[in-house]
Amino acid sequence: MKESGYEVREGLYYTREHEWVRIEGELVRVGVTEYAQDRLGDVVYVELPVIGRRVKQLTEPKSRDMELGAVESVKAVSTVYSPISGTVKEVNTSLQERPEIINTSPYDEGWICVISPDDLKKELKALMDAKAYSEYLKKIE
Amino acid sequence: MVHPYIPNSRETRESMLREIGLEDIDELFVDIPAEIRLKRRLNLPSTMSEIDVINHVRAILSKNRSFTKMPSFLGGGVWPHHVPPHVRQIVRRSEFLTSYTPYQPETSQGMLQALFEYQSLIAELVGLDVANASMYDWATSLGEAALMCARVTGRSKFIVPRIISKDRLAVLKNYVAGPSIELVEVGYHQESGQLNVGQLDDKVDNDTAGVYIENPSYLGFLETQVDEIAEAAHRRGALFVVGVNPISLGLLKAPGDYGADIVIGEGQPLGNHVSFGGPTLGIFACRGEQKLVRQLPGRLIGMTKTLDGKTHGFTMVLQTREQHIRREKATSNICSNEALCAVAAAIYLVTLGPNGLRELAEVCAANASYLMGRLNEVKGLKAPLFKSPHFNEFTLQCTNGSVEHLNAELLSQGIHGGKSLRREFPELGEVALLCTTELHTRENLDSLVEAAKKAMEGKR
Repeated sequence: MKESGYEVREGLYYTREHEWVRIEGELVRVGVTEYAQDRLGDVVYVELPVIGRRVKQLTEPKSRDMELGAVESVKAVSTVYSPISGTVKEVNTSLQERPEIINTSPYDEGWICVISPDDLKKELKALMDAKAYSEYLKKIE
Repeated sequence: MVHPYIPNSRETRESMLREIGLEDIDELFVDIPAEIRLKRRLNLPSTMSEIDVINHVRAILSKNRSFTKMPSFLGGGVWPHHVPPHVRQIVRRSEFLTSYTPYQPETSQGMLQALFEYQSLIAELVGLDVANASMYDWATSLGEAALMCARVTGRSKFIVPRIISKDRLAVLKNYVAGPSIELVEVGYHQESGQLNVGQLDDKVDNDTAGVYIENPSYLGFLETQVDEIAEAAHRRGALFVVGVNPISLGLLKAPGDYGADIVIGEGQPLGNHVSFGGPTLGIFACRGEQKLVRQLPGRLIGMTKTLDGKTHGFTMVLQTREQHIRREKATSNICSNEALCAVAAAIYLVTLGPNGLRELAEVCAANASYLMGRLNEVKGLKAPLFKSPHFNEFTLQCTNGSVEHLNAELLSQGIHGGKSLRREFPELGEVALLCTTELHTRENLDSLVEAAKKAMEGKR
């Protein structure tokens, strides 16, 4: 789906801060969207969470325990918020050597971490599906 | 009355007040509680003519005594050294002297290059890969080092030695109070002053972010168990932080070569005057690993190439760590530094060279060694207190009488004695900290010994 001019993948769930979630059995994989990488420009560094860290789902007002890390481009830094509450199980260490894969492959190679969710079913309701996220992008553009 | 140096007239002020809807200028200060506002004029003498002012200030200045007229043995964190005239001459060039936050690469290549050279020299001197463009002083470097250790490791304990400058410790406490980093103290062996490594080993745990030592220590002796301390820190995944007097590195092994991850120190002795205690220069360097450099506080200047690839250029790098971009999540609240003092340090180090620095360190240490030997001849005095090798500072113990009495007697004979440690280390008894550098002539050292003899004899 590319209505808004940015790729939005079907089957994923999205936050208003442009993170995506993919359900993989008991776990979820998290990354930032095509729109986010385009807005940031060339990514030069990604601050990853520590494995085992507990995070909370992004809600307003934001707080530090909702932060997974940060994506840094040449001129800006953007916080990555957690779309789902849970425990960080795995991080994408390829990003340490090749942060630019966030730009080239935000939905595949450029994933950020894997989380073991506390209550996925309940929290998914707070996220957008691909259709809603596309509408949201059109609105904020 | 219109003040000669404040150009706005009464009419201007009144129209400005009207514009913002106020009647009286005092209404601007309503936010300051009334009880702490001064309700009278400042208690100042009436105006003086220019000639009177000059005479008045001259009379005050004439009370000053120069180092040559009145040798001083004070050190303890700021040390008197010779500043070669060429350092002053170069630093006073207006391009250096007048530039504040001189970081625009299109206009400040000279300043940026000088800071880059400073960073390179410091990194080489301390044996690490990266140094920043300086912090305010050793104490702020220490505070920043503790915060950096916590960020890098995600842990919340910082270990400090019992023998440490209490001024530095106070600044460190201030720094760690907000982010709730716990300071843990490790004691020392009474005979030698050396860190109690067994105790350290017990205290380093899986929540320890960093282990800090000073070498030479605040009391002048060298820490000899550096390998064991580095091992104790690293075994549990903590970072090893070492604080130095950079002059000592003319003789001593660079901390980076014995396992330090972060090296901090006081850069004042590198070409900067004592000047009643400032401005000083905070050294801060770390290993070149990404996860450390990304958490480095302060400004960092890098070298790059121009678009055509023909010319080197200098520019700030990794700015995304800093306050003006990352706001409250910046690695440090300090985006500023001691640029001019850093330039002085760079000029000093470059012109002194590695051999010059070694010779200088040798003279400083030799003077301390000679003075300790001679002071031991004086009845009622013992130097040093700790059985360990020393660099250019040492402890002098009054086994009979008080430091206060000794210093008063020395002062009456035109000599400024050592710093009394009574307040900082009451457990050591009557002890002073003395410092020698290349500025102390043999006559200076001998005159101290003679004056001390007189003082101690006069006591009986």
